[in-house]
Amino acid sequence: MQRPIYLPCLVYLLFSILLMQAAHAKEATDNSDEVTFKDYTLNIGDRIDLGDYQMELIEIQSVRDGLVVMRTSKVGGSLDEQRALLLDSPNNFDGGAENKGITITVADIFDEQSAKVRIEYSQSLGSPRKHASERPALALDKPELFVQKSFERNQMSVGDAVKVTITVKNTGTGQALAIKAEDIPPLPEFTYVAGYPPKIKETIDPGQSDSAVYVMNAVKEGSIRVPAMMVSYTDVKKNAKSNSSEPFNILISPKSKADLAIKLASSGPLALDGESMLNISISNLGTASASRIEVDGTVVPSEGLQVTGLEKSFFEIMPGAEVNYSASLRGQKAGNYIIHLKVNYDGGDGSVIREGTGEVVVLEREYKYQYLLLIIPIAIIIAWMYRRYREYKY
Amino acid sequence: MLNVLILGVGQCGNRILDAINKEAFGGGGAANLAKYYLRPKFPSRVETLAINTAINDLKELRFTTAKDRLHVPNLHGVGANRNVGKQAFMDNRDVIMGEIEKRGDFDIAFVITSTSGGTGSSFTPLLINELKRQYKDITVVTVAVLPAREEGSIYLQNAAFCMRELMEVEAEGIILADNQYMKRFSGDIASAYDKINNMIAKRLLFLIESLDSEMLSVTDLGDFKTVMNGGLRIGTMGFYQADSKNLSIRDAIENSLKPVNLLYPANVGDDAARAMIIIQGSREHLDVDEITKEVERLTASAGHVFKGIVVKKGNPKVLSVFTVASAPELESIYAQAARGMQDEKEKRCRARKQLDDAFAHIEDLEEIY
Ligand SMILES: Nc1nc2c(ncn2[C@@H]2O[C@H](COP(=O)(O)OP(=O)(O)OP(=O)(O)O)[C@@H](O)[C@H]2O)c(=O)[nH]1
Ligand SMILES: [Mg+2]
Repeated sequence: MQRPIYLPCLVYLLFSILLMQAAHAKEATDNSDEVTFKDYTLNIGDRIDLGDYQMELIEIQSVRDGLVVMRTSKVGGSLDEQRALLLDSPNNFDGGAENKGITITVADIFDEQSAKVRIEYSQSLGSPRKHASERPALALDKPELFVQKSFERNQMSVGDAVKVTITVKNTGTGQALAIKAEDIPPLPEFTYVAGYPPKIKETIDPGQSDSAVYVMNAVKEGSIRVPAMMVSYTDVKKNAKSNSSEPFNILISPKSKADLAIKLASSGPLALDGESMLNISISNLGTASASRIEVDGTVVPSEGLQVTGLEKSFFEIMPGAEVNYSASLRGQKAGNYIIHLKVNYDGGDGSVIREGTGEVVVLEREYKYQYLLLIIPIAIIIAWMYRRYREYKY
Repeated sequence: MLNVLILGVGQCGNRILDAINKEAFGGGGAANLAKYYLRPKFPSRVETLAINTAINDLKELRFTTAKDRLHVPNLHGVGANRNVGKQAFMDNRDVIMGEIEKRGDFDIAFVITSTSGGTGSSFTPLLINELKRQYKDITVVTVAVLPAREEGSIYLQNAAFCMRELMEVEAEGIILADNQYMKRFSGDIASAYDKINNMIAKRLLFLIESLDSEMLSVTDLGDFKTVMNGGLRIGTMGFYQADSKNLSIRDAIENSLKPVNLLYPANVGDDAARAMIIIQGSREHLDVDEITKEVERLTASAGHVFKGIVVKKGNPKVLSVFTVASAPELESIYAQAARGMQDEKEKRCRARKQLDDAFAHIEDLEEIY
């Protein structure tokens, strides 16, 4: 057990520190009749004892105005005064230091908790001693607002509505007053829907919070940096303060839409009076499903190619899906025909029209048939005439 | 509807028959092509048959179908010899009659022939007898062509004998056409024949049409028979088509009887026995009063005149058919034929005598070798 050896050492160390402090205080004094002074840094509650005098820092009334409240008393009760002292102006008690009293000057105010105080006194009163306040430094009325601005989602698409929440929380110890939340109006990427500008209570007690919500619509795609939002307020003593939220990024992606593509495929040229099929496929290349799809078709020129089954309607085409159907063709006149298809659908954002074209060629009648057309009647005529010739040939 | 049989016998008959068939195709140059796509258009049901012993004569035809050409095989032809011809007919009678019977029943038959050739002139009288025997109620009219007088004595002789036979048979009558009289139409004999043949063809078809149509004033087969039975039962036909310059129906009738429009030179005023006037034309040209007056005027000279009026669009056309009570031209043919025969006989005797005289030189001699 070694503790019995260390304890006397610790006591000695403490004692020597106290001695050094006393020596330091002694330096400021020249002789006992003369007025001397000493500066102290006091926290609220701290007290200086000088002879029968006791001086205690009660309150920093206003940092801005430079007002500090101190209580000065004298053992025996002949003096007990609580006075607001103005910065840098000496205050005399019991006639002041010149008259064996004391003079107190607030030399500096650090904050709501502490100030530098100069004590002037006659050396005959002895040397002042500071008593640190035994209670912990009292939590003072110091508000601290934590501001947060958040989007419901950091990724959205054009056309989406987004909820913006502004939360202000008083994490300080004092009441926050005259709170003003300054939110930058919606960015060009948004249009405001409801709730703007956000309204935050003017006063928030410590530990309390308030929030406001507004709704915007994303109208333009892009990556956007949402700037910080600032809240300004004062404490009870009208000390102004402000806090800001953290800026952050959001991403607006293009609107999700259905995108239909039309393909027409005819099975090669068509013989005159021949029949064939035209295959039509409609695929949804978009990200949303298309609904109420109406297909309508026209043929140019309108005469000469008979097309049946071009018109069609579908209820829905899912993204990535494809529908197929076919129309039947019948060539009545040789030529090149253009088939225009018009697809009207609801792409999730109103009605959309897409068009597609295909070409169909109706061939001239093949020559061998044409020859036959001539040859057959000629053959018939020749056969007929030969028969007649034979009939009259003797 | 009348069932009509038209027989063309011998080269002359064949060619006139061919002209009739050509006329049924519309006539003229168009008929050459029309036969390749049309059927001959006859007013009634008409069957035609060309009969000949000479196959070349049959081959020459152009508008008569092959099945309507009957070749009567005779080794060397008949050579204008009527006796050979008669024999050939008798030998082939069944074939000929069979060919005709195949064509059904007939109301009237026209047998067209020359009187002077061998085949036609000898076949026709026999053929008429056969027809009369085969078809009880048939009316048979012969269309006989007389030769030109300078064609030679055998032709004249044949004509004389043929005519005599034709008048003896039971036929309803003979319509004469005289080559001598009509050859004036053209310089060369071939085109004259064509012209004569076409005239005969046209008139015959007109006659058939009028016998078989709905007339305003009716003539029918009976009337025609009556006319043909008149006088010598020999007659001829006249024809006139009015032009736009003169549409008078009276003039048209008169013109149809003028010698220049007849097939055989007859004098209607003096010789006509019975007549039939058939008038065709648009209604506005057919003044019945006028027609009646003209017919009455004719009746004064000819014994009886039938009139038939056919309303058909066009300028007036008149066909007159009449029989004669006397035929001076025919008589002159007989005279000429007899003279010719007499000359021939004398020539033959003279030649014989000259030859006999020549033979006399060797009368008592023997051949010496
Ligand atoms: N009108 C007219 N007369 C003709 C024609 N051909 C011949 N003749 C006449 O007919 C006579 C000759 O008779 P054909 O008919 O040729 O003789 P056929 O009856 O054939 O007898 P063969 O020839 O002797 O066996 C002659 O008098 C000719 O003038 C003709 O085309 N038209
Ligand atoms: Mg002959």
